[in-house]
Amino acid sequence: MRGNLRVLGIESTAHTFSASVVGEREGVITNAKDVYLPPEGSGIHPAEAADHHLSVAARVVREALDEAGAQGLDDVDAVAYSMGPGLGPCLRVGAVTARALSLASGKPLVAVNHAVGHIELGCLLTGARAPLVLLISGGHTMVLAHSNGVWRVLGETLDLTLGQLLDQIGRHVGFASPCGRRIEEAAARSSRYLRLPYTVKGNDVSFSGVLTAAKRLVDGGAPPEDVFYSVQETAFAITTEVTERALAFTGARELLVVGGVAANRRLSEMLRKMAERHEASVMVVPPQFSGDCGAQIAWTGLLAYRAGESLAGVAESVVRQSWRLDTVRTPWRA
Amino acid sequence: MELIYRGAEADVFKGGWCDRPAVYKVRKPLTYRLPELDGLIRSQRTSHEAQIIHQSRGAGVPAPWLYYVSPEEALLVMEFVEGERLKTVLMDPAMTGRRARELGAEFGRDIARLHAAGIMHGDLTTSNVIVGGGRLTLIDFGLAIRSQRLEDQAVDLRLIKETVTGAHNGVSKPFMRSLLAGYSEVLGGTRTAAAARKLAEIERRGRYARVE
Ligand SMILES: Nc1ncnc2c1ncn2[C@@H]1O[C@H](COP(=O)(O)OP(=O)(O)O)[C@@H](O)[C@H]1O
Ligand SMILES: [Mg+2]
Repeated sequence: MRGNLRVLGIESTAHTFSASVVGEREGVITNAKDVYLPPEGSGIHPAEAADHHLSVAARVVREALDEAGAQGLDDVDAVAYSMGPGLGPCLRVGAVTARALSLASGKPLVAVNHAVGHIELGCLLTGARAPLVLLISGGHTMVLAHSNGVWRVLGETLDLTLGQLLDQIGRHVGFASPCGRRIEEAAARSSRYLRLPYTVKGNDVSFSGVLTAAKRLVDGGAPPEDVFYSVQETAFAITTEVTERALAFTGARELLVVGGVAANRRLSEMLRKMAERHEASVMVVPPQFSGDCGAQIAWTGLLAYRAGESLAGVAESVVRQSWRLDTVRTPWRA
Repeated sequence: MELIYRGAEADVFKGGWCDRPAVYKVRKPLTYRLPELDGLIRSQRTSHEAQIIHQSRGAGVPAPWLYYVSPEEALLVMEFVEGERLKTVLMDPAMTGRRARELGAEFGRDIARLHAAGIMHGDLTTSNVIVGGGRLTLIDFGLAIRSQRLEDQAVDLRLIKETVTGAHNGVSKPFMRSLLAGYSEVLGGTRTAAAARKLAEIERRGRYARVE
């Protein structure tokens, strides 16, 4: 291996097709992406998202490589891709793209777990070293701490993720998903709290009651901004409560917040207020990297490759739709 | 009064009540929550905890005697239970596999009695069990729910499994095995097996809630 590793990473688990080049010294060098947008009021359709990814893949990869000023693939040491978890048809586009690039260039393939990617990129960008992690996105709502070589789940959702909750209530009023940003903006215009069920079970959370009650409020004619405000206040307080329990339990001094919902400012405000009492610092991944992106795959691929992990051959480059985060080996972490 | 514990949700003091040592548990305002939501949750959890403590004693599960309840002040005053937290006991380097099995079995029987009475503790960690006076006493019922669902029983078991596996790695296997054995002494093998299957299912499904 040479002095300054470079890795190309490809992400395609859900809405986003993205490619990125990272360097051992430079960190993120390029991060090109194209996001599939479903029609207003509907959710993601896996086959259509995969079609979208297929149609943009070549261009996005080229963009990532060109902007890196690289001599194309010659300049990278490995090609990383998101092996899972995610939607099968979408994942396969990423895997096939990575396989083709690897075959064409002779560069090794590295398989990355998408969720671990969120965490490692968050650590890179915020400087967090041994954080308690709150991973909140469309696919995950989990509180995690690293121990014995894996990210251990301390608490998680028993039903919907935070991303799903926001998307589903947004779609119910006719927004196109992902609707997190529009919901946050609308909620900021309200300060009228409508009661919603508040469910914490041990260290776990449940949002299905919030969703059902919120939909009912919308159907009953409540102003959407009041409903969004109340959904945020309730769901984020629930999330903050279980995060606080984990913080008290582990005594961690850093709280890293990653995943698409990390971009929400009301949530990070709540987390900051909470963490103050525990003298822990809250480190939120910068908003341009909170959503799914190639950089999370490229950077984690680099860490894995440097630790000696790569696939023996393209035959191993399968996808794993439900790949549990706490079974992923992380040899680059002590 | 002496502060004996500062938790995420409540402060716990040791004081007296009619000449007896007593615990004062006060749920403090949490500033990150909307005040109206916060006030509601604190008073609800206080009166709820009092009710469940009462019901647990009725189900034959040792829980502290209640002396005073004030939902408005989010305050509970209860018996001070002498002993050590199960967490501390299990972490003792002198802990033997045999003692861990005894404790596990006893704990399993207590949980089963609660579940048989339709009470899910909701926060079954080793911090919420006090070992002393030749028995285990369960405390901290603030997150308890009333339910007959297998799913909720499994969620209860899952939390204790997670806590034990994470924090007490050395004794976790014998402890958990005896816990399930104790559980089935009370609830029977069929219900225990069903709860264990549900537990495995929750572990599989919860790990990655799929993007629909
Ligand atoms: N009745 C009691 N007798 C003795 N110690 C108690 C009693 N209640 C609470 N404690 C101590 O205070 C700690 C916190 O109380 P708990 O009710 O579990 O509050 P929290 O909801 O904050 O966890 C317990 O872990 C235990 O050490
Ligand atoms: Mg407790």
